[in-house]
Amino acid sequence: MRRRHWTFCITISTLIGAAAGGAAAGPDIPPHPDEIVFPPLAFEPPKAADFRHTLSSGVPVYLAPSHEFPLINVVFSFKGADDLDGPQETGLAASTGAMIRRGGTTSILAEDLDEELDFLAAIASTSSRGTRSVATLNCLASNFDRSFTLFLQMLRSPGFQADRLAIYKQQVIEQLKQRNDHAASILSREWRSLLYGDNHFEAAQPTASSIESITEDGLRSMHRRIFHPGNLIVAVTGDFDPPRMLKRLEKGLAGWEAAAAVPDPPAPRATFVPGVYHVEKDIPQGRVSIGLRSIRRDHPDYFALIMANRILGGGGFTSRIVRRVRSDEGLAYSARSTFRPRVHYPGEFQASFQSKNRTVALAAKIIFQEIRRIRSEHVGTEELATAAGALIETFPRRFESKAGMLRLFVDDELTGRDPAFWQTYRNHVRAVTSDDIMRVAKKYLVPEEMAFLVVGRWDEIAAGDLEGRAQMSEFFGGSVTHLPLRDPLTLEPIE
Amino acid sequence: MCRRFFIGMTMLAFALRGTALAQHVEVESLLLENGMEFLLVERPDQPNSITAGWVAKVGSANERPGITGISHFFEHMMFKGTRTIGTRDAERDRRLIERQKAVKDRLNELVFSVQYQRWRRGMIDDPWDPAHDTEEMKSLRAKLGQLMDEHRKVIVKDEFDEVYTKLGGSRMNAFTTHDLTFYFISVPSNKFELWAWMESDRLRDSVFREFYAERDVVHEERRLRTESTPTGEFREQFNAMFWQSSPYSWPVVGWPSDLNSYTRPQAERYFETYYRPNNIVGIVIGDFQAAAVKPVIRRYFGRLSRPEHDPPPVVTLEVQQKAQMRMLAECDCQGQVEVRYHTVPFNHADSFALEVAAQILNQRTGRLYKSMVEGREIASSASAGQDSRKYAGSFSFRAQIKGEATPQELEEAWYEEIQRLQTEPVADRELEKVKNRIAANAYRRLQSNFSLMVQLGMYEALGSASGTGWEYINDSPARLQAVTADRIMDVARKYFDSTNSAVAIYTRKATAKPPDPELAAMDEASSAMVRQTLSWMSQIQDPSQLNMIIAGLQGRLDTTEPGRAQAAHYLIKKLRERIAELQAASGN
Repeated sequence: MRRRHWTFCITISTLIGAAAGGAAAGPDIPPHPDEIVFPPLAFEPPKAADFRHTLSSGVPVYLAPSHEFPLINVVFSFKGADDLDGPQETGLAASTGAMIRRGGTTSILAEDLDEELDFLAAIASTSSRGTRSVATLNCLASNFDRSFTLFLQMLRSPGFQADRLAIYKQQVIEQLKQRNDHAASILSREWRSLLYGDNHFEAAQPTASSIESITEDGLRSMHRRIFHPGNLIVAVTGDFDPPRMLKRLEKGLAGWEAAAAVPDPPAPRATFVPGVYHVEKDIPQGRVSIGLRSIRRDHPDYFALIMANRILGGGGFTSRIVRRVRSDEGLAYSARSTFRPRVHYPGEFQASFQSKNRTVALAAKIIFQEIRRIRSEHVGTEELATAAGALIETFPRRFESKAGMLRLFVDDELTGRDPAFWQTYRNHVRAVTSDDIMRVAKKYLVPEEMAFLVVGRWDEIAAGDLEGRAQMSEFFGGSVTHLPLRDPLTLEPIE
Repeated sequence: MCRRFFIGMTMLAFALRGTALAQHVEVESLLLENGMEFLLVERPDQPNSITAGWVAKVGSANERPGITGISHFFEHMMFKGTRTIGTRDAERDRRLIERQKAVKDRLNELVFSVQYQRWRRGMIDDPWDPAHDTEEMKSLRAKLGQLMDEHRKVIVKDEFDEVYTKLGGSRMNAFTTHDLTFYFISVPSNKFELWAWMESDRLRDSVFREFYAERDVVHEERRLRTESTPTGEFREQFNAMFWQSSPYSWPVVGWPSDLNSYTRPQAERYFETYYRPNNIVGIVIGDFQAAAVKPVIRRYFGRLSRPEHDPPPVVTLEVQQKAQMRMLAECDCQGQVEVRYHTVPFNHADSFALEVAAQILNQRTGRLYKSMVEGREIASSASAGQDSRKYAGSFSFRAQIKGEATPQELEEAWYEEIQRLQTEPVADRELEKVKNRIAANAYRRLQSNFSLMVQLGMYEALGSASGTGWEYINDSPARLQAVTADRIMDVARKYFDSTNSAVAIYTRKATAKPPDPELAAMDEASSAMVRQTLSWMSQIQDPSQLNMIIAGLQGRLDTTEPGRAQAAHYLIKKLRERIAELQAASGN
C-alpha cells in the first residue's frame, strides 16, 4: 500500500513535468516554502490615543466603530474583584459581579428585566473575577437606546433581589460540591495554594459557609466600592456614530457618583516552598504542574523570558518540551510551559502535562532535562529566529478585531502600562539574544527552586515506567509531601 | 461579506425578523477541475490577516469496527510532513518506514493470535499490555524502538509547524467529528501563498511519520478527555447504547483496542479514499482580494488528481428504537440526568422546529430554568438541544440536581415540560422572543472569521448528504423564523416519546466522610497524635483495656499543656464511643 501511494505521487510529478528532489513542484511552484517571495506587509500598530475620548466626568471612553453588522458592543471595565474580598468573605466580589445581572434593579423586578432584555435580543453580563470587574452589553443597533438604559439601570441601581440571591448561593454550593470530581480542578486549586498561599486572593476559595454568609448589605457595599465612574473605563465597538455615542454616554452616566479609588491587588505574603507534592486521585492519568514564582510584567527581563519560554515549551510544536515529551516519546497529548507575569507582584512559570501514571516521572524527568539544558547551552540561531518570527509576524493579529484592540488599550490603561509598549514591541523582541535567554533561564528557571505537583494514583506514579527510565525518587531527594484531599464544602483536609 | 441592513419599521418583532431575512454572507465559490471547491469571503474590516482551512467530508461515521478512531488518528498524522517537509533524506525515510511497518505487522499478528487467545483463556488481563509480551514480542518491540530511534535522525522534527510558525502562522489546529475533519490556521495577509503551498503539499504527498509514537499520544488524549474525566467513559457508553445500528455508536477517538492496531496500509487506503479533492472544500476568509488568490489556488490545488471513484456512501441507517433504554451510572460527579430521543439529521424539515423548541426551553427566561431551577428549585442547571448530524440526529435534555433532589425527580419534571409542549401551543410573545434572539444571533455568529469558517465548512460537509451546502448559512435564518407554534407541537408529539428515548441517570459515588470539625480545628501535631491513637485503638476489642487507657489519660489531664488537653478530651470522647459500640455488639 505504501508503494501504491509512492507511484501515485510520481505519476503526478511526471504529468507536471518537474520532479525536484523528493516532491514535485510545478513551473511556478518553488520547491520549498522558504523560497516563496512574499509581498511586504507594512503594519504600524494603532495608537490608543487615537481612539480615546473623555467624558466630562473624567471617564475614559474608547470608541472603534465598524458598520459590518447592525450590532453594538459595550464593555465597562472596572479595577478590582476577588482582590477586594476580606479574609472572612471569600467569594463576595465574585457574587457581587454575578448578582448585578441576576438580581433586577431597584425599580424593575429581576424577572421583568430578564424578559425585556431577552425580548430585545440583548445580551448583558456582569462579572467580577481575578482583579477585574466587567459589565458588557451586546445588542442590535436598532434598540440600543432601550437596551443601554436597562443596562445602566442594572449597573447603577442593582436590585440584588432576595429570591435570586438564594438561588445563586445554592447554585454556587452545588458547584463547590464538584470541586474534587475533576483532577484538573484539584490541580489548579492546590497549585495556586502552593504558589501564593491560601490567604492570597489568587488561591483563596469560597466555602459553603462563606457563601452562605453573604448578605444583600455585603453585596451593596462591594458594589459601591467597585462599580462607580471613578473606577471605570468604557469601550464601544460596532455600528454607531461616535459623536452621538459620546452624547449618549454623557447622558447615561450623568449623576453617577464616584467613590474612593480602588487599591492595587496585594502581593502574596506566603513563602514559596519547593519540593514534590502529591494529591491522591483514582484516575489512569497523572496531571502535573512544575514551576515557580517568576517576575512582574513590567520587568526589564520580560521579553527575554517570553522568548525563553517559547523555545522551552510555550511555542507549540516548535518548542522543546512538546517535541520531546509528545512527538518523540508519545508520553502526553498536552505538554507545555507557560510564563504568566502579574502586574503587581511576581508572576509564574509553569510546565504542565498529563501522562499515564506510570510515565509521569519519565515525562517530568525530560522536562527537568530541558530546563537544565536551556540554562547551560545557548539556544540555536534557528530556534531563536523561529521564536522571534512567530511573535513579530503574529503581532498585527493582536489588532485584527476592533473589540480585541480596545481590550488591549483598556487593559493597558487600567494597569498603567507604558503607552509606547506596542510601538516598540517588535524591536524589543528582535533585540533578544541567545545570551539573554541563557541569562534569564539561569536566573528564573531554577529546577531546585521549583514545586512539582501531581494528582493521580501514587503507587503507580512512584514506581515509574516499565523500562525503568525514571522514578519519582529521583526528584528532590525522594521526599514528597502528600497533600490531603480537601472537603469540597469546607476545604478542610479529608482523612 | 455581510451586508448591513437598515431597519425602518417600528414594530420591534417585525423589525428583527426583517433583519433576519436580510442577513446575508457573500461567498464567492470556486470549483476546480479536479472537483475541489473553494469558498472565499473577503472581510477587509478584519485587517492584516487571513483565516483559512479545509474540511474533508469524512469522520468516524465512515469507519467500521476494527478501525474505529482512524479518522481522528489520521488528523494527527497529517501534521507529520511530506517528502519535502519533515525529512533530511526522503529515500532513507521511506526505507525506515517500510522496516518499521514489517516489524509492527508481525507484532500485531502475534497480538491477534497469541495474546488475544491468552486473554480469552484468562491468562492475561490485557492483550495489548507490553508487560505480557512473549519473548518474540519483546525482541520485536525492542527492534521497533531501535528503528524509531534511527528514524528520528532522519526526521526534521515538526518541520510542518516550524515553517508556519516562523512565518506568522497561528492557531494552527484541526478537529475531527463523527462527520468531518477540519484543518485550519491564520496567516498574515501577505502569506496566502504559504498556506496554498503547505496545504496542497500535504494533501498530495503526506508521509505518515512517527506512526507508532503518535498512537501513544492519542491514547493519552483518550485518557485525558474520556478516562480521567468524571463522566467521560459513561457518556461514551451511553452513546454506544443510544446508537444501535448507526456508525455514530463508536467514539470519534476510537475504541482502545482498535487504536492499538491500525496499520499503515489501512491509513493509506483511508487517505486515498477520502482525502481527495472531490471530497474536500477549502475556505478562505479575511483580508484578501478574491481575484488575487484565485490563480494561486488554481496553481497549487490544481495539482491534486481527481480519483476515478467518489468515496463510498455510508449505508447503514439507524434502526427504529423499540423500547426505552436506561443507564444507571455511579461516578465522582454531580447527580444528573440525560434524556435523549432519536430525531432528525441536518437540514431535515423538522430540524428547524426542534431547534426553536430547544430555544423555548433554554436560557434564563426559558421554561427549564424557570420551572426547575427557580420554581421547584430541584436543578442547579438544565438545558436542551437538537444535535443534527449528517446521517441522523438526536434531541437531549440534560440537568444537574440541586440539594437533596434526585435525578429521577428531574426526569419527571422533564416529562411534564414535554407534555406542555405537546398539548399547548407556545404563546405568541414567547415565540417572538425566541425568534428575536435567533435573528440577532444570526449576526453574532458571523463576527469572528474563525466561527464563520467553521460554519461554512460544516454546512458543506453535513449538507452534502441532504442536498444543501454553505448556502445554509443564508437560508436557515428564514426557515427558523417560519416555524409556527403548531409545528413545535407537532415535532414534540412526533419525537418526544418514551419508546424513542434513552435515559442516563448519574448519581454521586459514595466517598470518604468529611472530617470531624472538632479534629479539623486542632493543630497539626495534636490531630496527627489523635489519628494515630484512634487507628491503634480500633484494633482493641476489649472494653476493659480501653477503660484503662481512659483512666490513664484522665490521670494526666492536670499536667497536660492546654494545647494538648483538647486532644485528650477528644480522645476520651472517642474511646467512650468505641466502648459503647463494643458493648452494643456483644450485647446483640
